[in-house]
Parts: sequence; structure tokens; C-alpha cells
Amino acid sequence: MFITGINNTTTKTTTWKVVLPFYLYAALSFLAATILLFISSNKFLIHYFQPNTLAITHIMALGWGTMIILGASHQLVPVIVEGKLYSNILAYISFILAGIGIPLLVYSLYIFSFGATAKIGGSLILTALLAFVINLALSITQSKSQNIHATFVFTSTLWLFITAFLGVLLVFNFSSSVLSQDSVYYLPLHAHLGIIGWFLLLIIGVGSRLIPMFLISKYVNEKLLRIIYYLINISLLSFIVIFFIPAFNKYLFVCYTILFIGIMLFLYYCIQAHKQRIRKKVDEQMKISLLSVIMMLVPLLPLFIIIFLLTFSAQSNIHLLLLYGFLIFFGWITAIILGMTFKTLPFIVWNKVYHIQSANGKTPNPKDLFNNQLFIAMSICYLCGIFSFVLGILFALILLLQIGAALLIATAFLYNYNVAKILLHKPIKL
Amino acid sequence: MNVITNNNLKCTTALALLHDVYDPEIGLNVVDLGLIYQIDFDEDNANIICTMTLTTQFCPMGESITNNVTSMLQAGFTGYTINVNLTFSPPWNYEMISEEGKIFLGR
Repeated sequence: MFITGINNTTTKTTTWKVVLPFYLYAALSFLAATILLFISSNKFLIHYFQPNTLAITHIMALGWGTMIILGASHQLVPVIVEGKLYSNILAYISFILAGIGIPLLVYSLYIFSFGATAKIGGSLILTALLAFVINLALSITQSKSQNIHATFVFTSTLWLFITAFLGVLLVFNFSSSVLSQDSVYYLPLHAHLGIIGWFLLLIIGVGSRLIPMFLISKYVNEKLLRIIYYLINISLLSFIVIFFIPAFNKYLFVCYTILFIGIMLFLYYCIQAHKQRIRKKVDEQMKISLLSVIMMLVPLLPLFIIIFLLTFSAQSNIHLLLLYGFLIFFGWITAIILGMTFKTLPFIVWNKVYHIQSANGKTPNPKDLFNNQLFIAMSICYLCGIFSFVLGILFALILLLQIGAALLIATAFLYNYNVAKILLHKPIKL
Repeated sequence: MNVITNNNLKCTTALALLHDVYDPEIGLNVVDLGLIYQIDFDEDNANIICTMTLTTQFCPMGESITNNVTSMLQAGFTGYTINVNLTFSPPWNYEMISEEGKIFLGR
């Protein structure tokens, strides 16, 4: 008999009410970050540790990257862990606390004041993330299936929590000495935990599930994903050891080489998934998402030069550090979000509006919920903006920085327009 | 992929109706996608039991797809009660896509 058993498991997914506020919040944060980038363009010629760059980094990391990932995660957790989201209430708590905490923290960084506002902001964000960790842990626990993607997602969330915990400690450390060194000393650790532990692990965990799924690929390689998982975690753990034992600084290269191998293996995984896809026509949203996989490698170039300089000449290069940070947040993370937003959001809204209507050509396609021409215009503005800003940093040219930032504002406007168009979509009959 | 049935004639009609139910993400109908496993007709009780799957369990579009299958069969077989049973055994895989479906995706 062909059918071996009936499984009546419902397929109900997370309600749109939980997910959509995160998307809206993230879209507005992206716009705010690009405007601040334009206003602060000249600061990119000086140093990375200053109020404007700290504020921009945290809007990008928390308001943009983390908020949209939290929103998408609440939607995608059922797909990743093959089980339902444990609690909608915990998801609302995460949104409200992070939604209040992020502007408080960013404002404090912008005015460079680490008083009560910064402490309350940081603590609210930390509590929001704790709610997310609990929600995710309980969702995985109640799921019958354990898979490598869920392991990636859960580990990355733990790293996020540790990053935020250290961040709050750094805020408190500015006014009362809770750590043995000043807060600036711990910034590389805070940044690495967030970038590698949170963003890199999560994007690989989710990407390795979604890329083959969207491409309808035959390629499956759980063993390779496990190797990537261990390589990245070993790299991060060894970085932490080296950070606390400066005598091991000469081994920093080994730590980044392990990371590089992990990223290259993920690139290999994506290439194989792409090669073995059934769906030959790849849409623009997937193209931008796949481009972000390549953009993952770009920040490694300045990173390796920075490490080389630090290891062999004990010199740091401000321009390279700024370039590295910019490529991480505005390059790699933004590229994947720009692509994946329009692979997920139209479907969430379409499901909300049309799920009880017959498909039979009577409803628009989810892809019709946004303007594809504007999506292409957004992608062009984005790539030109990144290119111009990178040249501006490298050659210390304020005009190129301003042109780049202006193009990124245009990108954010077009992105917000399309997001608003999707969110405000009203049912239509064709 | 062959669909199991106890009534070939009515099954052909049902499959023709289900050709108009699409997976909104892929843009291919549920029949060519190989999501329909079995359609049985219980004439005594005027029941249609459609056993189907989804490309992935907890597919975000799952509820919408199963609702559309129900309404399409309901529209074509008035007087019948439609029961859609979801199964993930065996799980869907790309081998279940029909030749027409593969041609569509390969364009």
C-alpha cells in the first residue's frame, strides 16, 4: 500500500499578528539607520568608536537585523523545528520589550550617556531576548523532530543572549566598575559574539533549510552542516579563549582560518543546492538572497588584513575596521534581509487575507502584493550605495560616502514603500 | 505519480478540479506537484476522502492549500461531504512531481 499511515497533525502556523509588527519595526529602523548614516557620513573618516557609529551599529544590529530575524523566526520556527511555536504571548512580550528597549539604548548611545535610560533600555532588550530563548527552547522541546537546523537556530539564540548580556554589562560598566577592564576593551568580544554567534550561525541554520526549499533542490547534506556547525562554534570559542589569554594572540589567524573554512563549506553547500535544483527559474528575491551568501565572504577580506596587521605589526587600521563593520551590517545582513523579506512577508499577508478563499485564479498571487519594478530599483540603489560607500571609506572621500548613504536612504524608502504596500493589502477579486 | 482511488471516473473529475489549486509559492498545481495521494468516494454516506501531503510539514501555506482543495472539491461535487486528510507518510519529495510539473519548473 502506498500510504503507510495517516497523520492528522495540523499545519497551523504562527499567527500573522505576532509576526507583522516585527517586520514593520525593522523596516522603520532600516530607514532611521540610513538617515543617521547620511547625517554621520563625515564621522566615517575619523574612528569607529564614537556616538554616531555606535548608534548606527545598534539600530542595524538590533532594530533592523535582530527584529526582522525574530519576526521571521516566529513564523519559520514551525518549518525549522517541525513543531508549533510554543507561545504567542511570549512572542508579544519579546516584541514589546525589545521595541521599547532598542530606541532607549540607541538614543543613549547617540548622546553617549550611560545613565538610567541606557540601563533600562539594555535590560528591556535582554528580557525580550530571554522570552525568545524560552519560547524557542520550549518549541524545540515539544517538537518530535530534532534536526541540525534547529540546533543552529537554538545555539545562535543562546549566543545572542550572551551578546546582549555582555552588552548590558558594558553599559553598567561605564558608570560603575563591574568588569576588570573598561567597556571599550570588551567591544571586540561583544561584536564577535553577535556577528559570528548570532547572525552567522542563525543565517546558516535558516539558510540551509530555506535555500534548498525555495529552489526545490535534491541536495541534502546534514553531515556537512554538522561540520560547519562545529567549525564555527570552535572558531568562536577559540576567539573567546584568545581574548582572555592575550599570550595566545598569535593563534588568532588559526581561529579565523577555521571560521573561513566553515563559511566556504556553507558556500559549497549553497552552490550544490543551486546546482541540483528542480526549479530552474530563480526569482529576483532569491537572487538577492543568494548574492548575500557571496557577500558573506567580502567582509572576510578586510578582516584578514586587520588580523594580519594586528598579528605582525600590532597596528590597527581604522578604515579597515570601519569597512569591516559596514560590510557586515549594510552588506551581508542587509542583503539577505532585503531578499528574504519579499520571500516571506507577501506569503504571510496573503495567508492572512486569502486563506479561506479558493485559489482557482480568483485571488492575486503573493508575488503580486508588492511592486517588482520597485524591488529591482531598490536592489540597484542598494548595490550602487554599498559600492559608493565602500569606496568612500577606502579613499576617505566624503562625497562618495554621502552619495552612498543617499542611495541607501533611497533603498530604505523603496523597501518601506513595498513593505507598507504588502502590509496594507486589501482583498481583491480578480 | 499515480493517485489511488476506488472510483477512477470520479477521481479523474476530482483531479481535473484540483488542477486549479496552486501552491502559491511554487506556482504549480497540487496534482502536478504530487501532493494528492488518494481520493476515495464513499457513495453510501456521500463522502469524499482526499488524502494529501504538503511539500513540508508546518508549511506556512498549508492551511490555505487544504482549504482550497476542500472548496474546489465541494464546488465540483455538490451534496458530498469533503474530508481532507493530511499525511506526511511518506513525506513529499521531488520524485513525486509529474513530468508536466518538472517541465513547468524547468522553464
